[in-house]
Amino acid sequence: MSEALLEGLVLVLQWKALAFMMLGIVLGFWVGLLPGLGGATTLALMLPFIYNMQPVEAFAFLLGMHAVTATTGDITSVLFGVPGEAASAATILDGHAMAKNGEAGRALGAVLASSLVGALVGAAALALAVPVVRPLVLTFGSPELFMLAIVGLAFIASLSSHGGRGLVRGFLAGLLGLLVSTVGQDPQAGVARYTFDSLYLWQGLDLVPILVGIFAIPEIIELAARGTSIAGSLPAGRISRGALEGVKDTFRHFWLTIRCSLIGTFIGIMPGLGGSVAQWMAYGHAAQSARTAEERKRFGAGDVRGVLGPGAANNSKEGGSLIPTVAFGVPGSTAMAILLGGFVLLGLVPGPDMLSKHLSVTYSMVWTIVLANVVTVVVCFLFLDQLARLTGVRGSILIPLILVLVFVGSYTSNNHYGDMVATLAFGAIGYLMVLAGWPRAPFVLGLVLGKIAENYLYISIARYEAAWLTRPVVLVLIVIAIAVIIYPLFQARRKAAHA
Amino acid sequence: MHKSAAVGLSISVMLVSGYAVFAATAWPWKAALFPLVIGIPLFCLAATELLWSLLGAEPPSAPNEVELSTDAAARRRVVRVAAWMAGFFVAIALLGFPIAVPLFVFLYLKLQGGEGWVLSIVLTAAVAAAFYGLFDALLHLPFPAGWLWSWLGLA
Repeated sequence: MSEALLEGLVLVLQWKALAFMMLGIVLGFWVGLLPGLGGATTLALMLPFIYNMQPVEAFAFLLGMHAVTATTGDITSVLFGVPGEAASAATILDGHAMAKNGEAGRALGAVLASSLVGALVGAAALALAVPVVRPLVLTFGSPELFMLAIVGLAFIASLSSHGGRGLVRGFLAGLLGLLVSTVGQDPQAGVARYTFDSLYLWQGLDLVPILVGIFAIPEIIELAARGTSIAGSLPAGRISRGALEGVKDTFRHFWLTIRCSLIGTFIGIMPGLGGSVAQWMAYGHAAQSARTAEERKRFGAGDVRGVLGPGAANNSKEGGSLIPTVAFGVPGSTAMAILLGGFVLLGLVPGPDMLSKHLSVTYSMVWTIVLANVVTVVVCFLFLDQLARLTGVRGSILIPLILVLVFVGSYTSNNHYGDMVATLAFGAIGYLMVLAGWPRAPFVLGLVLGKIAENYLYISIARYEAAWLTRPVVLVLIVIAIAVIIYPLFQARRKAAHA
Repeated sequence: MHKSAAVGLSISVMLVSGYAVFAATAWPWKAALFPLVIGIPLFCLAATELLWSLLGAEPPSAPNEVELSTDAAARRRVVRVAAWMAGFFVAIALLGFPIAVPLFVFLYLKLQGGEGWVLSIVLTAAVAAAFYGLFDALLHLPFPAGWLWSWLGLA
């Protein structure tokens, strides 16, 4: 194994593979920064260019590009409150709040350092887990995967808690997200649901325009309403010192970062759940780690742990999602499904061959993830001052630029004007939700999980009828979901009794 | 403002979920299962939230969300930026992205932002160049001509 690992490194360090990786990193850097223009879309756009490449060069190019989008996507989330990538949305909650508190440098330092830790954990997991992961993936059937989705929703809904009412609102938002995900032709019976005879709605609502709308539009409106820069009138402070503080935060909360990286890796391994889920689960875990209700209230207002969790998870998931892709040909996410197309183009067959005959190619992927992230993080730190100073630019200059990104990003997800209408509509809904005190995070998780959860629920009932509820892992997950819901209520009651 | 938003949102969600459940009853069970499983509790929770909003105290903000400015001056700015967004969308539909993007950036900087001529022109040129270089020349993304050009027979 160590020989193959070394051979993988040598292959990636060959000048041609290295040059393609650098090209991929440059592309991925900007794709990540631009909201809406997703890593998966760009992977698909770049696939035709790999025909004439060797496997190692092609994967260095594609993975190098894909591995850094989550890192630079986090930068956009922190600085502008717009998710650079769908998998970077959770970073907004605390990262952007920190930027508005004048701590942009610290937030960026934390998100970059945790991203690097996450990427290394994910890559290590890929290197180590291949021989042992098969039984784990096979234990989870549709009932367990459905319950995993419910646990994720319960996690996020409970985070929105200010007692019972907060929980109601959290679940309201989550269920609304699930309901929105049912728009379009249903996968089982082919019925057009809630389409109102619109051809655009037949395909269902795309995640990117909704994400961009629900997160970016309220932020833009608020930026305009305040009439200041993102950081307001607060002094930005010495950014380099702030960044170092962010790096130190990563090591101060090192075990949290590692745990969130492992959550990301685990979610990445589970086919179909994807990076969007990983970041929210990690954010949920980070917020759950708050010891008191007072401490929990800081989440969303600029707690660095809320940056470290998603920052680590959305990078570690890449290594995780490569595991089922390489080992079983089961893609863990949309991007991995596209990467699987790359395997086919290159004449490689995922499965046992990738773990024996082409083991060095598999390990070259591990090294690509490691090197691409190290290079990106170093480059980001070098230009941190310039990146963080963007929060001091006047709102009147930033707003038109961000709006261009919003509309272009929204339109390019499907090349349809309907996407821009969806962005505006969900932007208005997002603004109303914030105004009414409803949390947006459960809505997004509901939307992300909707199609997957529906599919798993249908298969569970069709295959096991009511007996799916009695499966041991399902029972454990039900208990976890109930505990996650009850715990904040219990905590609030105990606090009230003490007061 | 917060209370009226909470009431309005609750009523809207009740209407949407009520319609969702009603529509689902006409579908085969395979298609109706999930909307019913989601729609019924959503309706009940929205009704609970509505009652809470009407009878209870001013709802607190969600802990993980931004605090919105809601004074009179802020409300005026909100209406203005919403109008700019709607205008940008209409401009994209009528003129197409390549024209609407620089036009919007320039007009916003000059009219709304009150920026100087030099900054407005330089930024507009930079955005136009970045838009053309990245999306058109590099990624070859198809941006259709606006409807106006089609109506005039120029597209």
